[in-house]
Amino acid sequence: MSLTHLNARGEAHMVDVADKPESRREASASGRIRMRPETLTLLADGGLPKGDVLATARIAGIQAAKRTHELIPLCHALSLSKVAVDFHLDEAESCVTVTATCRLNGRTGVEMEALTAVSVACLTLYDMCKAVDKSMEIGAIQLDTKRGGKSGDYRRDAAAPRPAPIVTGEGQAGEVSLGSRCDVATPCIRVKCLAELRERLGVGEVAVELDSLESFDVAGLKAALKALDPRFSRLDEGRVLCAVNQVMASDTTPVTNEDEVAFFPPVTGG
Amino acid sequence: MIRVQEAPFDAGTEQQALLAGRTDIGAVVSFTGLVRDFNEHPEVSALTLEHYPGMTESALEAIVEDARGRWSLDAVTVIHRVGRLTPGDPIVLVVVASAHRRAAFEACDFIMDYLKTRAHFWKKEHAGDGDYWVSERDSDHSDARRWEA
Repeated sequence: MSLTHLNARGEAHMVDVADKPESRREASASGRIRMRPETLTLLADGGLPKGDVLATARIAGIQAAKRTHELIPLCHALSLSKVAVDFHLDEAESCVTVTATCRLNGRTGVEMEALTAVSVACLTLYDMCKAVDKSMEIGAIQLDTKRGGKSGDYRRDAAAPRPAPIVTGEGQAGEVSLGSRCDVATPCIRVKCLAELRERLGVGEVAVELDSLESFDVAGLKAALKALDPRFSRLDEGRVLCAVNQVMASDTTPVTNEDEVAFFPPVTGG
Repeated sequence: MIRVQEAPFDAGTEQQALLAGRTDIGAVVSFTGLVRDFNEHPEVSALTLEHYPGMTESALEAIVEDARGRWSLDAVTVIHRVGRLTPGDPIVLVVVASAHRRAAFEACDFIMDYLKTRAHFWKKEHAGDGDYWVSERDSDHSDARRWEA
């Protein structure tokens, strides 16, 4: 791992990105400003002397993202396609959580833009509220996710357990038991079957070794599942939808180690 | 604001929260979906809603973002309940605020049409003659296609 902002002599320089291919880049960052409960109440009720605090901080964050290159010396000027800044008022923790997402199709990542948006939105919140509370504290500014680019995708706490789906019933008698956890040493794919499909197959979660796939895509995974247990032939019956890492997928979507693949019937909410 | 929750919600409270401190909103349209006591079978006594945490929320966010691209909206709230519900319970809430009524009416309609065909919820109904998973409906898909022209 090397620091790309240092050249061979260890001097700071701007990376030449002219030859890098364009790709879709996205980054999300978050931060937090703690305040007294009374201040948070005033903020929520719009009772602060400077007016609409959140709207102002949102615009400040968006403006800051666009001007990141003026603040951070070796950053490129980017034409962002999207900047979204959002606030979550947490009464239990007496704080406001700020999140920012930046996106573009381009040659450099947008993490610095997302982090700058969060930082400046937090500072603006401080400025807007300081008349009533000088003890506010800004902290926990961090990159949460990043997509695209040579260094690949990043997700903070990728290992943190996701909440389990709310299940509506156990599998039928004679449940397929194939183990649901990936062995650390063996690359594998975590498969979930949801709703009616889970009950029809009698299996909710199963881990499939990557090596058992003939082709590293959803079609290959289906074939491997059928080899494990003939019940999985029902994946071809009726309309069964598929998502890889929670994004809708098809038979040709590639799969790799640690992916979460879900199979489910058409949705029926509302 | 988007929430997926087991707890009940109050449509009035949610609408007030959406409008609090705003004087630029000229129209607010609110839709509440309720659990019916008849559906594919008569005498539905309860239903259980399952979802796919994470993906459900991103699907709802994408739908709201799509609506914001089509109409000029000031604020949107979408709440969908999961878990066990009984007839008469509120199950879904969509509140849309805009400067003018047409955008609010249409966007609310649009969000419900897309929610029914794109958000990751599954209903299991408990009726007098047994439990069954609800099937998708062609009418929901044709409703959603209205917005693609």
